[in-house]
Amino acid sequence: MTELVNILAVGLLLGGIYALVSVGLNLIFGVIRIVNFAQGEFVMLGMYGAFAAQITLRLDPYVATVLVGPALFALGAFVYWVILRPLQGQPMMQVFATFGLLMILENTVLALTGGTAYSVNSGLTGYSVSFGPIQIGLPRVLVLTAATVVTLALGWYLKSTMHGKAIRAVAQDRNAARLMGVDVERIYMVSFGIGAALAGLAGCLLSPLYTMSPQIGMNFIMPAFAVVVLGGLGSVKGAYFGGLIVGLTEALAGFYLDPALKQAVLFLMFIIVLVVRPSGLFGTAGAEEVGLREQS
Amino acid sequence: MSNPDTSFRAPPDTPVAMPRVRSFVGELPLLAFVLAACAGLIVFFTGNSFAQNLLATTFLFAALSTSWNIIGGLGGQFSLGHSVFFAFGAYIAARMHLDLGLSPWLALLPAALVAAAFAMLVSWPVFRLRGPFFAIATMAMTEVVLALAMYFSSITGGAQGLSIPFKAGLHNMIFRDRMSYAILMLCFLAVTLIVMAAVTRSRLGYQLRAVHDNEDTAEAAGIDVLRTKLVGMGISAALTAMGGVFFLMYVRVVDPPSLFSLFDIGVKIALIALIGGIGTIYGPLLGALLVVPLEGMLRAELGGMMPGSNLIVLGFILVLTAMYLRKGIAGTGTDLFARIRGGR
Repeated sequence: MTELVNILAVGLLLGGIYALVSVGLNLIFGVIRIVNFAQGEFVMLGMYGAFAAQITLRLDPYVATVLVGPALFALGAFVYWVILRPLQGQPMMQVFATFGLLMILENTVLALTGGTAYSVNSGLTGYSVSFGPIQIGLPRVLVLTAATVVTLALGWYLKSTMHGKAIRAVAQDRNAARLMGVDVERIYMVSFGIGAALAGLAGCLLSPLYTMSPQIGMNFIMPAFAVVVLGGLGSVKGAYFGGLIVGLTEALAGFYLDPALKQAVLFLMFIIVLVVRPSGLFGTAGAEEVGLREQS
Repeated sequence: MSNPDTSFRAPPDTPVAMPRVRSFVGELPLLAFVLAACAGLIVFFTGNSFAQNLLATTFLFAALSTSWNIIGGLGGQFSLGHSVFFAFGAYIAARMHLDLGLSPWLALLPAALVAAAFAMLVSWPVFRLRGPFFAIATMAMTEVVLALAMYFSSITGGAQGLSIPFKAGLHNMIFRDRMSYAILMLCFLAVTLIVMAAVTRSRLGYQLRAVHDNEDTAEAAGIDVLRTKLVGMGISAALTAMGGVFFLMYVRVVDPPSLFSLFDIGVKIALIALIGGIGTIYGPLLGALLVVPLEGMLRAELGGMMPGSNLIVLGFILVLTAMYLRKGIAGTGTDLFARIRGGR
């Protein structure tokens, strides 16, 4: 029994990581309809940002979020404006462009660091929280908490603020929103920036948990795609629950089948969901077929 | 788009010079010329083993990219999972060679058939997805098969990989000099170019292009969209698996992470086709002639100082091509040529 609880806890915490990484990806997808292959690299940059902040300013990674978040917002807005804005209505060219961006970011960091693995220390690393029979490190609990808070906050923001309503209006029908006086291009830029900033936030919070490498983004982007497809394209809530489901699946498959096969099980499930219910658990039906076309 | 007013202006009774539909036979002279030029490159660099190596890799990737172009370019199904079929070919040849002692030449046909059957089987459900979703699903397929390949180490050698003992000879497809490999890869390139030209000028090719342009319209016009995509994918996968066989005998040491590599195989062959010209017959060859030597030189020049610098350059090329050169070198060149000839 304790064993099962342990596995479930591990799965939930892993799910928290995936959820946090996926929320931004899904926001970008839902609003701009761009599948951002470079999202994992934004997470990676967030981790290295936390590292840089620690080296130069001696900041704790949890404090570094106040610097790294805005920095990635600016980077995301810049990337959207310069690279992706000219590619609207060209989904495949967007795939290539974001893939090129992925290669540029990953290998620039590789060239700069020479491939040395770094890690970040936090004052909170040593602490742990006990839930009944199990002990969990505080950083992991914080990630799950952050994922929950971000999901709720983003949901509130999209639902209740004027700006959030504008974002949802653009996501529903960009032309109608434009006619209502919404500056669609600006909304896109801001949404992409928010998506990148959330990835940066995730990177900061994950930096005490992982040894950094330039290739680490790839470890996040594939599960994040699985999460987004499972939870529902464009749904913030879907990204959260999708993340938890993927985390649990990975933990259970790793324990009951074979750790070597957990990836295979995960992606097999992903392909099956993609084929059987492509709109995911919380998504709008048909988004996978019509959603990416230029709205006329 | 053809010019709408040219047909209107033509006098009704004079025989109008209709743009003749090029047949497969009509493609052959240019094809022969291109292949002769490639052979000329090999002869020109006789004795330079660095250049011969580069040429062999270039022709191999040109051939792989041409194979990808059949379903990815003509059919518009942007697969990023072709490394799976590539690895299939390599492992089938490796097992036949290591366990049964058979010549890799005999493995070509089984590899092609198995890969085509596998590709059609897995693509059948995945073809419901369009655009980026198809690309993501093929990426996920790569991850699944990679995990399985690492797990079933009795077939693939697991993380340690497989190595083919060096026994030189034509029947073993193993040669002492690099030039023979360049010639071998050129022959493979010739096969893929012939298939590509034949498909382009066949009914299947036009159906694939119709599916590429608009699936719903193609369906409405009576094209069996799923069947068209499946056949295109089957041909593409079969050729890619043959490429895997040649690659195995060329490097003789393979492990799952390198065979299933998303960047070095799956994305790179799509990238080469994109840069050269998606859907064109010679685009992938042009793209490979540009990208592979460039990457090789960068790796040789900068690899020690700045690891990954070759991929930074490739990334920039990818972004810039997507932004400014959507039709690739070949497509843009053809447009330019048509505009000059059209006089406006």
